[in-house]
Amino acid sequence: MPLVAALLVPGSPLPYLRPDNPPWKPIAEAYRAAATALQAARPDVLLVYSTQWIAVLDQLWQSRARVTGLHVDENWYEFGNLPFDLAIDTEVTASCIESTASIGVRSKGVDYDGFPIDTGTIVANGSLNADGRARLVIAANNVYHDWTRTSQLAAIAATTAERYGRRYAVVGVGGLSGTIFRTEIDLAQDRIAGDENDALNRGLLARLQQADVAGLAEFCADYAKRTRADMGMKHLAWILGGLGDRYRGADVLGYGPTYGAGAAIVQFRL
Amino acid sequence: MSNGKIVAGFLAPHPPHLVYGENPPQNEARSQGGWEQLRWAYERARASLERLKPDVLLVHSPHWMTQLGHHFLGVPTLKGKSVDPIFPNLFRYNFALDVDVELAEACCSEARSRGLVSKMMRNPDFRVDYGTITTLHMIRPQWDIPVVGISANNSPYYLSTKEGLEEMAVLGDATRAAIERTGRRAVLLASNTLCHWHFHEEPEIPEDMSREHPQSYAGYQWDMRIIELFRKGRTKEVFSLLPQFIDEAFAEVKSGALTWMFAAMGYPEIPGQLHGYGTVIGTGNAVMEWDLSAPAAPVAAAA
Ligand SMILES: [Fe+2]
Repeated sequence: MPLVAALLVPGSPLPYLRPDNPPWKPIAEAYRAAATALQAARPDVLLVYSTQWIAVLDQLWQSRARVTGLHVDENWYEFGNLPFDLAIDTEVTASCIESTASIGVRSKGVDYDGFPIDTGTIVANGSLNADGRARLVIAANNVYHDWTRTSQLAAIAATTAERYGRRYAVVGVGGLSGTIFRTEIDLAQDRIAGDENDALNRGLLARLQQADVAGLAEFCADYAKRTRADMGMKHLAWILGGLGDRYRGADVLGYGPTYGAGAAIVQFRL
Repeated sequence: MSNGKIVAGFLAPHPPHLVYGENPPQNEARSQGGWEQLRWAYERARASLERLKPDVLLVHSPHWMTQLGHHFLGVPTLKGKSVDPIFPNLFRYNFALDVDVELAEACCSEARSRGLVSKMMRNPDFRVDYGTITTLHMIRPQWDIPVVGISANNSPYYLSTKEGLEEMAVLGDATRAAIERTGRRAVLLASNTLCHWHFHEEPEIPEDMSREHPQSYAGYQWDMRIIELFRKGRTKEVFSLLPQFIDEAFAEVKSGALTWMFAAMGYPEIPGQLHGYGTVIGTGNAVMEWDLSAPAAPVAAAA
């Protein structure tokens, strides 16, 4: 079974940089639990898709063998810097880049010193794979790709990883409801902005737990409209594509606010 | 100090292709030229700026998009390598800039006193966005004039175009008050493309100009309509059309820089000088100037 894990995780830097802030603790702790579970699954490679790596022209993939640097989030710079050191599975990546022509998508590798790695990828890798044991395949979020296209790209990444004999984990990095507080708040009092958002987030999580996949794309389209959900939940499309739309159930390891927006860590049972 | 003033405003778009086409030593990527019409437009704008002799350049960039309020660069010197996330093949630029922190703080406090959420960015490791850097390089490649960098709050996208642009106008008022209070001779830079419909694939040779043309005829017509009104000094008309222009031409001015700049200048009904227009990967870009130091003088339409 080369598919060894699948995780939905948030890309907000807030719980990562301030894990002790009480409202952010559930996410920080769930990230630790997810890291432990992932380590036990011993993946060779994480197939990562972060809503915050925005592409516009082609489908981009990180193709530089080792990507290191220091990132500062453009919104939350006062909470600290985000150093990163990413090891890329260049072999699987190169094959993914070639393979997307089969679905009519032109792909390009990104191999540049100083390329602005997004906050979500850094947070996910730093939380789940701090020792760099697993290498990464990282796909960008092309804003013109929809749910289906995103799911197809993940399927290609999964098939490719499998073809190369890798033990792989699928990781979708992004939030839930995207409604945020627009004024300064007491961080210790952070909460999901709006009861309706909270209820809709919980509805989505319940549905994921029940592995109720039929109609999920339509459900998410409506959910996204009502909650300003992060990028129409395409990070979830990535996970489901990587899973071939099949899983047995899911565990919500943590759920909480990130400056009003919703965040959750969900581990899918294979 | 007092009696500061805004001496001019420029519409100064930021396609990184223009830096790439110029081949300055700061940029790693090398080209065989390209986008000359726009680069020559910037040459004329550079000559104007030289004559204006400002103390400071203020730039509002859509590629520093902030969620919680309006942010201002607040570190005296910032440097690093800026790599464009969309066009890393074209733009890998080593920058170093000096910030007019005193003016930035004044802008921030004036904005705050007008009810806007405003913040100073104090992290010395912050990477300045490529929009700010491209606009600044194109208008003043010597980098010898201090800068105030202003983020684009996402309100026009998060709330509505109308509400968002109203906020940008308040930010413009605050900016003018801060300039006057601190006695600066200031030039404003609105870092915005006009029609933003673009091609989805890049030519094999990015600077192959046989592939460059407006992506949308309707978008091009919109750009010409807006530019023509600006050239005639019909500013009010432009701003009454702006929401429709934004919707129909997917115009990047939605992010607020143009509104910020015109609000700061008091929406002058004076002819804007077109230094040049050109497309970049299909989008419409105009380099224009409003010289407030001689508002009564008729301005010849260039280019
Ligand atoms: Fe732009």
